[in-house]
Amino acid sequence: MPKHHVIETTNLSRVFKNGPIEVHALTGINMTIKQGEFVSIMGASGSGKSTLLHIIGCLDRATAGEYELDGVRVNALNKNELADVRNQKIGFIFQSYNLLSRTTALENVALPLIYDRSGRFSNAKELAKKALEQVGLADRIYHKTNELSGGQQQRVAIARALVNNPALILADEPTGNLDSKASIEIADLFVQLNNEGKTIVMITHEPEIAQFAKRMIYLRDGQIISDEPIKNRSTKAFALRELEKPASLKNNPV
Amino acid sequence: MKRFFKIFNVAFQSINKNRTRSLLTMLGIIIGVAAVIMTISAGEGATLQVQNQISGLGTNLLMIQTKTEHKAGINVRMGRPIDKKDLDMLQKNAVWMPKISPLVAIGVQAIGPNGYKSTTVYGVSYDYFYITSRAIELGEFFTEDDVKTAKKYCVIGETIREELFPGQDPIGRQIRIDKVLFTVVGLLTQEGSGGMGQDMDDIIVAPYTTIQNRLYGQQRGYNLIMASALSEDHIVDAEIEATELLRESHRINPDDEDDFDITTQIELQEITGNITGILTILLGAVASISLIVGGIGIMNIMLVSVTERTREIGTRLAIGARESDILTQFLIEAIVLSLVGGTIGVIFGFIGNQIIFKATGFFIPTAMYSILIGFGFSALVGVAFGYFPAQKAAKLNPIDALRYE
Repeated sequence: MPKHHVIETTNLSRVFKNGPIEVHALTGINMTIKQGEFVSIMGASGSGKSTLLHIIGCLDRATAGEYELDGVRVNALNKNELADVRNQKIGFIFQSYNLLSRTTALENVALPLIYDRSGRFSNAKELAKKALEQVGLADRIYHKTNELSGGQQQRVAIARALVNNPALILADEPTGNLDSKASIEIADLFVQLNNEGKTIVMITHEPEIAQFAKRMIYLRDGQIISDEPIKNRSTKAFALRELEKPASLKNNPV
Repeated sequence: MKRFFKIFNVAFQSINKNRTRSLLTMLGIIIGVAAVIMTISAGEGATLQVQNQISGLGTNLLMIQTKTEHKAGINVRMGRPIDKKDLDMLQKNAVWMPKISPLVAIGVQAIGPNGYKSTTVYGVSYDYFYITSRAIELGEFFTEDDVKTAKKYCVIGETIREELFPGQDPIGRQIRIDKVLFTVVGLLTQEGSGGMGQDMDDIIVAPYTTIQNRLYGQQRGYNLIMASALSEDHIVDAEIEATELLRESHRINPDDEDDFDITTQIELQEITGNITGILTILLGAVASISLIVGGIGIMNIMLVSVTERTREIGTRLAIGARESDILTQFLIEAIVLSLVGGTIGVIFGFIGNQIIFKATGFFIPTAMYSILIGFGFSALVGVAFGYFPAQKAAKLNPIDALRYE
């Protein structure tokens, strides 16, 4: 079976108008991401990677250019349809988890299913449990958010992104609030999910985390300056070993 | 529908998570609804009490008076006075009014062996006791013959007895009204205060003939003629009959207005009903201001809640909630807050009425419609004051909301 395109953008641009000043956040982005890919998007702050993520995630619209997500032409959609696309095709993971406080892991994971209008899911609780098992939190189902560590909270958030079986998982700095060890665990979880066939796009500014992906896109000043497969992928074992080394001996695996 | 139930659940959970805050928010509504119910019920209770007392006078009562108009601050008599001619004519011709009595009232000084009192003496015929359904406690009423022969007999109320004959049997004893000596033949059964708060026992009743001859001086005519209709159902017939007879006997042209006024007990009830009704509305309006203040409290807290939960709203939008889902959630939250507050308020209002009844003996029926008003108002307040914050939440830009610190 030929792998179809999950993301396809043609000449995508985003211009922010602030009075007379125009800021070109993105210019002429052409990007194709196939099913089953694991892509890291890197770039300095202000390079446009957040704007790109918002457009890919259907939270924002491009000023010009075409964007097709899993066969749907996003440009033509209205607000409600965009919300439904987010609900059905995308799983979001945020830097600060964005879980509901004082709420159990299970309820947090089931949250996207509340807004499902397709009627695909009848057994929300079962699906949420399964998603929590997938991220290795089977024993924390009824724990409340504030009773979990940062890494565990991010796992709950990942389970929430998996529960609606989306075409695309979008992670915005998923390890930004975590320590190195927890970061590696999360990156490794992404690798596992990718191995199970999930398409993942991850924004990060940490090179050692980006290195877990299969492909790296580098942005600068709103343009793609490099888009290459990663030859020497990092693994959990390698990254943990690197962590043990004193700072002076650390070398870049690239 | 299933999704609506889920969103309802979400709203309910977030109320439950902030229990103290939710309760304090509801307090405004609780007090408002309780106040509305208690004031409306108090008004209802007052109306009921007044109407009971008026109907105690006999609901088939008619009062025929000379027409008066209020001019330059005083009541001016507009027509010829109601007099003996009218009384005789009515007694001769009326079919629907079997009992008719004139009434002449004068303020006098009554002096007894042990005290004196300023009071009103009513000159009436024997029918008066029947029309007003007053009962006798001691002695007896004066008779038809006593009226005809203008005997100086009188029947007194309990208040008069207390002042003039403290602790004594007044029957057969004499009192002086102005300069005339009257013999007390009867004591009226105590009746308490009347519909307008007047003392129904501060009264001396005597034959109208005696009063007119001895006390009334040169003034002709009566203050009014009292009559009772055959039954309560025939009070309108009686009113029409009296009007026609009096117009004929006063020779009033068909195009001219009556020169007399006929008041029935029903009208009296309506008038007092109107007065207490206006009072109830007024009090209810004051109480509902507190409901509006309670609503503003809800709006205030909901706005704080929206700001506080900006990130949560952003997350919900990002994972696929539509604007309408967010709107519904916050609107339900506001409505549930005010409805729960309303329910508690209804209970408090009911308990409050019972406490007032226990403490003062003033019976307040908790009017069903006051409960509906209180409840309906609180739901309305929830929608009205919840809409703005809910709208604000729904219109948040998801990107900005997610970044909100």
